[in-house]
Amino acid sequence: MTRSLSLAAALLAFAAARADDPLRATIDREVAAKWKAEGVAPANRATDAEFLRRVHLDLVGAPPTHDETVKFLADTDTKKRDKLVEKLIADPRFAKAQAEVWDLVLFGRHPNNYTETHKRPAFKEWLAKQIEANDGFDKLVKNLLLAEQPGSQVFYVQFRNAPDDANVAVSRIFLGTQLQCAKCHDHPYDVWTQKDFYGMSGFYVRLTVQEFGNQNNRTFNIGEKNSGEVLFAGNAKELKPGQKGDPVKPKFLGGAELKEPPTPKDYKEPPAPKDGKPMPKPTFSRKEKLAEWVTAAENPYFAKATVNRVWAQFMGRGIVHPIDDFQKENEPSHPALLKALTDGFVNNKFDLKLLIREIVNSDAYQLSAAGPGREALPKHFERARVRPLSAEEIIASLRTVTATGPNPNEGWDYFLRAFGEPANGLGEFQGSLSEHLFLNNSEHLRAFVRRKKGNLTDQVLTSTEPWEARVERMYLSVLNRSPKPKEVEAFVSYIKREPKPDAAVEDAIWVLLNSSEFRFNH
Amino acid sequence: MSHAQSHLSRRAFLKGAAVTGAGLVLPNWGGLAYARAAAEAAAKAKKRCILLWMNGGASQIDTFDMKPGRTTGGPFRPIQSKVTGLQVCEYLPKVGAIADKLAVIRSMKTQSPDHPDGIYHMHTCYKMNERTPHPELGAVIAKYNGNPDADLPSFVRTGSTGNGGAGYLGPKYEPFGIDRTGRLPYFSTPYLKDEDEKKRADLFRTVEDEFGVDHKAEPFESHRTAKERAWRLLRAKGVFDISKDWPKAKDRYGDTEFGRSCFMAKKLVEAGIPFVEVGQENYDSHGDNFVVHKACMQVLDPAWSALLTDLADSGQLDNTLVIWMGEVGRTPQINNRAGRDHFISAWTVVLSGGGVKGGVVYGASDADGKTVKDNPVSEGDLFATIYNALGINHRAKHYWGVRPIWLTPEGAKPIKELL
Repeated sequence: MTRSLSLAAALLAFAAARADDPLRATIDREVAAKWKAEGVAPANRATDAEFLRRVHLDLVGAPPTHDETVKFLADTDTKKRDKLVEKLIADPRFAKAQAEVWDLVLFGRHPNNYTETHKRPAFKEWLAKQIEANDGFDKLVKNLLLAEQPGSQVFYVQFRNAPDDANVAVSRIFLGTQLQCAKCHDHPYDVWTQKDFYGMSGFYVRLTVQEFGNQNNRTFNIGEKNSGEVLFAGNAKELKPGQKGDPVKPKFLGGAELKEPPTPKDYKEPPAPKDGKPMPKPTFSRKEKLAEWVTAAENPYFAKATVNRVWAQFMGRGIVHPIDDFQKENEPSHPALLKALTDGFVNNKFDLKLLIREIVNSDAYQLSAAGPGREALPKHFERARVRPLSAEEIIASLRTVTATGPNPNEGWDYFLRAFGEPANGLGEFQGSLSEHLFLNNSEHLRAFVRRKKGNLTDQVLTSTEPWEARVERMYLSVLNRSPKPKEVEAFVSYIKREPKPDAAVEDAIWVLLNSSEFRFNH
Repeated sequence: MSHAQSHLSRRAFLKGAAVTGAGLVLPNWGGLAYARAAAEAAAKAKKRCILLWMNGGASQIDTFDMKPGRTTGGPFRPIQSKVTGLQVCEYLPKVGAIADKLAVIRSMKTQSPDHPDGIYHMHTCYKMNERTPHPELGAVIAKYNGNPDADLPSFVRTGSTGNGGAGYLGPKYEPFGIDRTGRLPYFSTPYLKDEDEKKRADLFRTVEDEFGVDHKAEPFESHRTAKERAWRLLRAKGVFDISKDWPKAKDRYGDTEFGRSCFMAKKLVEAGIPFVEVGQENYDSHGDNFVVHKACMQVLDPAWSALLTDLADSGQLDNTLVIWMGEVGRTPQINNRAGRDHFISAWTVVLSGGGVKGGVVYGASDADGKTVKDNPVSEGDLFATIYNALGINHRAKHYWGVRPIWLTPEGAKPIKELL
């Protein structure tokens, strides 16, 4: 008895001590505990150069410049990594880069109602503003689901007249759960039934999209009717033609039915205003109830689904993986860590910047990508993950490392085609023929290596330094590290064997831009 | 190839390279001679497929399911084909003469009545309005019957007739599109001279070798492998140039873009490409159906028959499934513009080669061609038949995120009578 009491006391003290730890300490403790339990040896700590490039790409969507690289590598401050993280989070590019990440989560490359949704600068701007303000990720998502702020409305446009699609997307992204199976039949391995599915669809069934302006200047209003119900008829396979089903009340996933005033029996929905005015607000808004419920601190899914997604963004795998498949057959790899991150996120008012700062300051994030393992996303986070740069990051990287400014003839659509969707259905990277034909033979890529006043090729050719130093400049610029002696030798001899260096320098930089070291964030 | 194997082959290659010495440019990754030969042999045993795609939807009643004497029959006369009980349109005499090679399915009953959705559905056997990106059959065949170490792409399409691409199978299996005049896609021509390209490639390999010493993650290797494939393609792309052989073939295939593309398709499957799609445009005859169809068939008849004959003569037909289909059939009713509209209740697809039984008519429509009388065939059934003929498990399981997906929908059954 005494013994178990003192054990309990000790455990309590232990837990209390942990609650005050910064999250990064918890991360490292939990990740290391798993290595020990699994007998896994972690990779070495990432070199400064590795960390520098990785964290730049992850936080601001572009690698550092040559000068930033040189400065950071020479810096002897032991706190330089923390300081760099602070600097990058404060960088105006931070919010833009994170907005790109979330925009792709919310839309993918092929959103429905493509004409209206595939270009959405106003949405990205809105998103970036929210991220910059950092007023709580719960508020951001609430505003997204309310769709009242200018720019935010296009999210629902992809689900116009498709409440089930809206339900599937919101549940997957913000609740971390796969509801779509339960559309046609009760979920085969999760707890969800068809009634859960249609109960959630009820929150979206009254939404309507109003479109204003013209092709070049489209805006939207997300209106909400006072009537309209989801109909449910049973298992899709057993449906008879023409069978419509019965209305289903909106019901929070895994929770209660929505309490709402009944619609009067003889209620007739007024026609949508035709004078370019937004629909009047409904007397009772299901959308508001949904937005409140999803983002509430007590919501059992939202916070952990979000931290898991953000974790995976930086660490490769989710603690629950795949990241949007929380269910009892798919246990978290590090349950205590997931809980600590979730609690930390909620207790800090859903502070996204804080969460990101803690993750990238952890030792686990700062491991090397070198090692014998073949997985792109190491299971125990024992090595840095390898992820392909997005099309957006590729363009930003090319501009930065070759010191070429943006130009209107860059050929964004070609870049998007070559780099937009580099993975199969499981998210595994696949190098493709079209990517490499584009890299090898296009003028679009060549434009970045052709000599132009002030660009990297020009800097190298103009310099009077020995070729060894100039090769070093190329490496520091493109790969953000110094070359190894063997690499210097190979490049110098490549350039020196030509009577004129111009073409050889162009080739050399091309080679670095085509390297797998450049293609991925690792 | 398993990891262990590819590791072995790489080491063996490095040993080999030491013997040959500097200066000789060889592909470094996945390109070891014996591994490649083995993969080629394995791929050779696998069957190929040519899809003749009738874009817009060909009329079954004016081709293979004629209804002479009925109000829906139209003006074309049927002629007796080589097969008892199978009459074909008078404008398909050459195809009729080799009808013993054809399996005519007259009972297609499908679900997507329009162009984008029908094109998607008849390329993937799934409905377009699902959010899941299903792969086209070309991508599936590229994955299962292609040789990963081949110099040439595994999914080639002339014209632009599909709209699904590789879907969840990934960018590795995207179509390599050649336009109808035979021009290769953008960025297939190097801007460097051959020897400069080789030098640059060697420097790339040096860089990759150095990085590869302590960076073993799969994406890096996938990147290098794809780069090597792009270079190998440029060395092998001569196979797409048929200008030398075409003069001898054009009388038989017909001197048309479609005829030329069919001839190229034959050359490409002989070169080991497992899937080639050749599109023929203009079948969408809502007006003047008979003028349109006569013109189309006069292009189709010599090209298709020459293709089948050439494949048979070179012993390739048993290994090469040739599919003739479009996204929809056309209505039995003739509209007031002498046209026929889209029709999905009872229409026709024709298979030949690849081990499919020839000289067979499967299923039947009613006297006016308005409904299926016997043995309805769905998109899934057709694809299950195609995949089985090609040695591919039609219930192979894949994933889109966490969602399991099968190559054909639940309940799809191959047509046993044709296999």
